[in-house]
Formats: sequence, structure tokens, C-alpha cells
Amino acid sequence: MKITLPAIGLAGLLVLAGCGGNLGSDGDSGSTAAYPERAVTLLIGQDAGGSTDLIGRALADPAGKDLGQAVTVQNRPGANGAVAAKELASAKPDGYTVMVFVGSLAYITPLAVPADQAVDVNDYEVITGISQDDFVLIANPQTGFKTVQDIVAAKRPIKFATTGVGTGSQLTQTLLFAQAGVDATAVPFNGGAPALTAVLGGQVDVAAVQLGEAKEQIEAGKAVPLVTFATQRPSYMPDTPTATEAGFNVPVQQSRAIVAPKGTPKEVVDRLRAAFQKGFADQAYKDFNTKRLLTANEVDGAALLQQWNGSLQTYRDLVAQHKIDLSAK
Amino acid sequence: MSSVIDGFAVVLEPANLLYCLVGVVIGMLIGVLPGLGPAATIAILLPVTFGLEPVTAVIMLAGIFYGAQYGGTITSVLLRLPGEASSVVTVFDGHALARQGRAGTALGIAAIGSFVGGTLSIVALTLVAPIVAGFALDFGPPEYTVLALLGIMLVSTISSGGRIRALTAAAIGLLLATVGRDDFTSAERFTFGNLSLADGIDFVPIAMGLFGLGEILYNLEERHRAVQAPTRVTNVWPSRADLRQSSGAIGRGSVIGFVLGILPGGGAVLSSMAAYALEKRRSKHPERFGQGAIEGVAAPETANNAAATSSFIPLLSLGIPANATMAVIFGALLIQGVTPGPQLVTEHPELFWGVVNSMYLGNVLLLIMSIPLLGVFVRILRVRAAVLAPITVLITLVGAYTVNNSVFDIGLVIGFGVLGYLMKKAGFDPGPMVLAFVLGSLLETSLRRSLLLFDGDLTGFLTRPISGVLAAAFLAVILLPLARALLHRRRPKPPLPDATERDAGAAGRDAGSGAAGREAGAAGRDVGSGAAGRDAGSGAAGREAGAAGRGADVGAAGSDAGASGRDADAAGRDVGAAGSDANAAGRDASAAGSEADAAGRDADAAGSGVADRRKAEPVSQSVRRDLHPEESE
Repeated sequence: MKITLPAIGLAGLLVLAGCGGNLGSDGDSGSTAAYPERAVTLLIGQDAGGSTDLIGRALADPAGKDLGQAVTVQNRPGANGAVAAKELASAKPDGYTVMVFVGSLAYITPLAVPADQAVDVNDYEVITGISQDDFVLIANPQTGFKTVQDIVAAKRPIKFATTGVGTGSQLTQTLLFAQAGVDATAVPFNGGAPALTAVLGGQVDVAAVQLGEAKEQIEAGKAVPLVTFATQRPSYMPDTPTATEAGFNVPVQQSRAIVAPKGTPKEVVDRLRAAFQKGFADQAYKDFNTKRLLTANEVDGAALLQQWNGSLQTYRDLVAQHKIDLSAK
Repeated sequence: MSSVIDGFAVVLEPANLLYCLVGVVIGMLIGVLPGLGPAATIAILLPVTFGLEPVTAVIMLAGIFYGAQYGGTITSVLLRLPGEASSVVTVFDGHALARQGRAGTALGIAAIGSFVGGTLSIVALTLVAPIVAGFALDFGPPEYTVLALLGIMLVSTISSGGRIRALTAAAIGLLLATVGRDDFTSAERFTFGNLSLADGIDFVPIAMGLFGLGEILYNLEERHRAVQAPTRVTNVWPSRADLRQSSGAIGRGSVIGFVLGILPGGGAVLSSMAAYALEKRRSKHPERFGQGAIEGVAAPETANNAAATSSFIPLLSLGIPANATMAVIFGALLIQGVTPGPQLVTEHPELFWGVVNSMYLGNVLLLIMSIPLLGVFVRILRVRAAVLAPITVLITLVGAYTVNNSVFDIGLVIGFGVLGYLMKKAGFDPGPMVLAFVLGSLLETSLRRSLLLFDGDLTGFLTRPISGVLAAAFLAVILLPLARALLHRRRPKPPLPDATERDAGAAGRDAGSGAAGREAGAAGRDVGSGAAGRDAGSGAAGREAGAAGRGADVGAAGSDAGASGRDADAAGRDVGAAGSDANAAGRDASAAGSEADAAGRDADAAGSGVADRRKAEPVSQSVRRDLHPEESE
């Protein structure tokens, strides 16, 4: 497979190039019509079954219908998506290999890992933004914490669970407690579920997890929401203040986008963007977003790069200002 | 309660019914094929499960596991060749029955015992698992730390290759688990800049290589030892007398299997041996064992199915795989995006109860299918390894590629396959390595999390109730054998010739009567544990209890040797050692001892295809140390 795929890809590229060369001014429309001639591979840098995987799969179906070719999902988990991103970077820029890129890889991981391991989203062609996941800070009811001020007033060292190093969960809490002047120790877990379990079991005082992951436990009264890190109060959590309202500057979201290798022809990127927009309009996909408490962020490539580059700069400044080291401990 | 009933609705979905059937049949098949155990088969089939719903996948894999426990019986009885490590002890009486023309009865009673043991175990699982899950939120990083440590220690202590080899294998497993990105600092460890290693070595290629490819390579060497299979098996339905004789053994086997299956490091292999030892110990006529005692088939076959079922409890309710097969199923669940653990029962009740309830059905299927399919299985035994092995290798490699579409993984499978083959050749059990690999990252991250939670204070492990009890059990596992060894060294030479003489004499009688070396093995254990003031049955039982945290007396390594036919050689030599010890008191015992030794070696040669004498050496050495404390000083 490893040998044949690039070979077919090369053949496809030659066809595209041939069309452009022979048909002269008609070339653009000609090559757009020729694409896609076969299935498009959608790489996902996370494990199957995780939120990124589910989002990618929810989009692959309707987008494939519009393209008239299957969009096949392939999981290449590893290093918060860096493994898949590096594979994508070396793939042919022909529109037959694209990837779901997670925002934290672009704007949080670079703050936690050595420079040579960081991935730069500007090295890719962004097809479209997808959606945004907001974080909520939850506490075990036995702590008695109902607001961030309760934690400050408790005047005791606290332990907080994160969903891992270089994640939004780590960044939100580190920034929040630094600004609130709380003596807090991060305990990293692998993903949202174990971090949530640590709060429910009382092993840690609080944790920041994604809204969709905590929803059930909040409704069951087993976890108390203290503050969300959303830009506006999520509609289903009208009584929980946002961090901004609570007086903190923690503008952190998880976000996802579809990207292609650098150098993918503009008309191919446009064709893909059109296909994914059809996917966004699909009712089943909309229901999926509602159910997972995701906020649509279906902006084009330029807008997305502006958001993400801005976030990276903001976080870099905040981390420097509060003298935080995300990689230590 | 309603979720229990919903679980049945899940089971009765056509796809799940089908895959339950498929799993049970595949399980029986691979049980029949010597060498390729359930862990290997499940590892090889992992890629197939990727396309299934999680619950369907686990239903099938569970079916393979308990189906294999029965399938292994068939070759044990007909060919004197255990198809499955948990059927090793079934060889003794099962094949003796077959030689008396009662192979059908042996297989029939094994099917009934498997059904009863499995079903009772599920009932108990249904009642116990939710209680364990109720405690599950109290399982934080400290508890997981100690539990992981306990699991690795126990599996290394009772593994078949001897303790030093097992601990070495476990250490390699732990080392492999450190490859990849550090969860706490994000630094890369042992990746050599290779992006494929950035997130560590994937569990699937390790399991497929060590268990799958390694086993196939090893078995190509071993298979020619099999005897010719008979063409027909008749009179499968056991007589009323057989049933009456077996009922007690089936009942006790169910309990032993259930309890030992739950323990970390326990499982089908251990429980079948313990159940056999118990029956022999209880019997008024222990000399019948090895001559075709029907209880000698009923007890281990009941126990291994009960254990195969109950070992799902720690996996599904705590996320701790108790043995290598469970480790592979753990991997299968992770691939499906389901993390087994405290939240599983509440968050995926349909999966939990679907899997549990499918086992009721699977056991019925097992009972119904086993008898009509016997003829098919007998014929399959005649398929040549030269045909089977290449096909299996091909399926393994293609499967390894499809999990991650990674050529790198194929390389890993081949590498670990060669390693697995070499390990088996050298008498290393890959089980502790795989389990240590799985539990290694849990151990490391939990330990570091605990230290963060305790602000670096190690006493935190002891002050929390659950981790405190577990830690005490762990310390007992390590310290009791050490303490006993020390005590024995201090004391003047124990006055054991009397007891030893008698035991060795008994061994000599047994061996002299021409029975299999099992007798010698059991006697060897008598001698070994006799020195420690124990006898065979309570030695084994005491070890089990020890695992449960009561006595934690795992030290009686000699008892391992006793129950297992393939260790009979070592046991025979132990008897020899005991005999020469008794020599000081009289020559008779010595003669009896060497007679037993010969019988033991005989049994080894004839006994089992899995046999490897070198494996048993550390056992005999440790027993010898017990007997001759002065030698080791």
C-alpha cells in the first residue's frame, strides 16, 4: 500500500498537471472538474473514539457525498496529532490526503515541548475551521467550592487534574490559578475521562474538562461547575459565569480545522472547502454538534490562521507574564 | 437491575448472537490446535474487531477465551497434548480415560463441567462486579500504583518459567513501557528521534508478535511430538455414576476458578492446577488419580472456565487486566475508544452487561456445540502444521498492518515474534513481559501522580485504606518467602528425614506403579512443601490464599512443579533430591527417589508438547535450597 498510494497519487497529479497545461485558460475549471477522481483520505491524529475522531467521522460522510468520492478516515494517533501532521506534511499536495488538525497542537503544545518538536500550522493549507470546544472548571461537591473565589478564600494548597501536558485543560487552570494567586499543583491524566474520575473520586479538588465530557456529571450533581472558559455563557449552563465575568483573562478553547499539505492547488482547496461546508449544513452533523455541546467555527483558512496565530501569541505573553512553565512537572 | 435486563437485549441482537457463536467456535478451534492460545488468537484477530461495535467485539473475544478453555480439553484427552496451558493437568486422567476407551465420557464431563463452572461464575460476576465498581471511585492513583505493582509481582511469582526468568521478562516489559513521550514533561524517551515511537510502542504488535508469531514459530518445532488422533469418539454422555462422582469436583472447581480468576496474576492456568490438586487431596483414593479418575477431568475443566469468566471482573470494573489474555482484550477495548475502568459500568452499561450476559448464552452454545462438533475437531487435528502455520503468519502480518496502516508495525511484529520464539526456547514465559508492559505505564504514571498528590510523601500509600491493604499484601508477597528462607537458614538442620522418607517412599510407589510422572510431581511437592511444614493440597491452597492477601505465601515454588505435568521432570528431580537427603537415614528412600526421578523424566518426555525442562530448573533449585539450607550458605 505504501508503495502504490504515492504512485496513484503521482498519476493523479500528472493528470491534473496535464489538464492545466493542455487546456490553457480552461485549465482551472478543467482540473477542478477532474478532482476528485478517487477516495480522499482524512487523517486523524487522535485515537478512534475520541472527540476529534468522532467529529472527523461525522464530517467525512456528508463531505464525501458532495465530492462524489468516499472520504476515508484513518487514525494516526500520537503526540497530540504531531505524528499525523508530520505524515501529512510529507504527503503529495494533491488534495487526496487531508487531516483534522487540533488547535492545541498549534497554539498550546509549542509552549510545552522543545522547539524542534513543535508543529506550525502555518506550514499547511487550511481548508476550513470546524468547531470549538469550551472548557469548564468542575469541583468535587465535598470541597464545598462553588466559585473560584471559594478556592481563593480556602487559603489552602489545591490539586487540580489536567487532561495532559500541553492541553487546554492544563493551560486554562494554570493561568486561572496564577491570576487568582492560588497555590495549585497540576496532576496530569491521559484525557478527559480519567481527569473527571479523579474529581468524582475526590483524588483532586478540581479539573478543567470539555463541556460535553462533564455535562452528565454536572446534571447528576456529582460535579459542581465553577466557571467556564467560553467566550459567552453556554446556553445550557446559564448560571455558571465565564472566566472573563469572574475577572480572569483566560481565553482558551480547543478548536479544530481541516488542513491539507502546503502547496495544494487553490482550486482543490476551494473544492474541499465547498464539500465540507455541505457537511456543516447536514442535519445529522448539526445534531451531533448540539449533542456534544460544540460551537461552530466554520471560518475560512485565512480567518482560522488569524485566530490560531493570535491565540499562540496571547498564550505566549500570558505564560511569560505569569512565569508559567507548562512542561515542568 | 434494569440495565442487567437491557444487557440481554444487547445480547439478543442478531449481530451479537452471531459473533458470540463465532467467538465460541473459534475459541474451541484454537483450543484444539496445540500451542496457539487464546491470547495469541485474540491478538491476531484484533484488527478484525476494529470494524465491529465495541460490545460485539468484546462478546466475540470473550467467546474465544472461554471457548478455548474447553477446546484445549479435546487434545489433552485424545492426543495427550494440551492444546491450551490451562488443560495441562487434564492430560493425566483425561488421556488415561481415553486409553480405557472412555474418551467420550471424559469430553462429556468436561463439557458439562465447563458449562456449570462458567455459568456459576457469571452469576457470581453479575452480583460481585457492580459492588467492585461501587468502590471504583475510591480507586485513585495510589490504589492503581499498588495494584499494578501487585499484579506484576504476582504474575512473575507464579509464572511457569521460574521466578528469576519471570522477573527478568517483567523488567523488560517495564522498560519497553517507558518508550515514548513522558506524560508529565512531554520529553521524548528512547524514541531515537523516530516519530513512530513518539507515543510509545503500540501494544497490539507486541501481543501479536510475542503471542502470535512467537507461538507459531515455536510450535512448528514442537508439533511433531503429538500422537495420532483416533478417528472416532463415542459415548459422550456420561453415566449416572460418572456424574455423581464428578458433582463435588465440579462444585469445588467452580468456586476455586471464580476466586483465582479475579486475582491479579491468576486465571485459568493457575485455577485448573489448584482445582486438580484439591480434588486429589480430598479423595479417599488419591491413587486413582492419573489412572483415569473422572474427577481429575471434571475439576480442572470446571475451574478453568469459571476463571476465564471471573477474570473479566478486574478488567471491566477496575481497568486492571489480571492475565495476559485480559491484557489483549484491554487493548481491544482501547482501540474501540472504550477505556475499561471505574466508569465503565455506569457510562457503558450496555457494553458491560452485554458482555456479561453474552457469557450465559456462550456457555449454552459451548455445551450444545461441543458434542456434535467433536468429529470436526478430531479431523482438524490432522491438518498439517506446514499448511496451517504460513496461513496464520500471513493473517497475523496483514492484521498488524491494518490496525494503524503502518509498515513500522509489521516490523515490530516480526521483531517481537523472533523475541517471543527465543524467549520460549530459553524457557522465558512472555506472559509477565506483556502484563508488565501493559501495567508499566499505569504503574509509572500512577506513582508519579500519587507523589504529586502526596507532595512526595510515600507514607500516603499506607494511610489510605484500600491502597494500605493492597500495599500490605504486596509487602507480604515479597517479604514472607524471604523471611521464611532466613528462618530456615538460622535454624539447625530440620529433622526431616522421617517425613521425607515416607513421602519419597510414597512417590516411589506411585512412580513404580508405572503411572505418569504427575504422581512423582505431586510427591515432589509433598517433599518440597513438607520441609516448610506443608503438604500438597494446603500448599497450593495456601499459595492461593496468599495471593488473596491472607497468607501471601507464594514462596512454595515447589507446588508449582507438583500440579503441572510439564514440571514433572523437575519434581522428579526434587524427589531425587529429597531421596538423597533421606539417604542419610536409609537407602530405600533414595532408591524410591531415583525411581521417581526416572518416572518424572519419562513423563516429561511423554507428557506434553509444551514441555521444556529448562523452565523447571529454578523451581527445583529453590526446593533444593529448602531441603539443603546449608548448601546455599
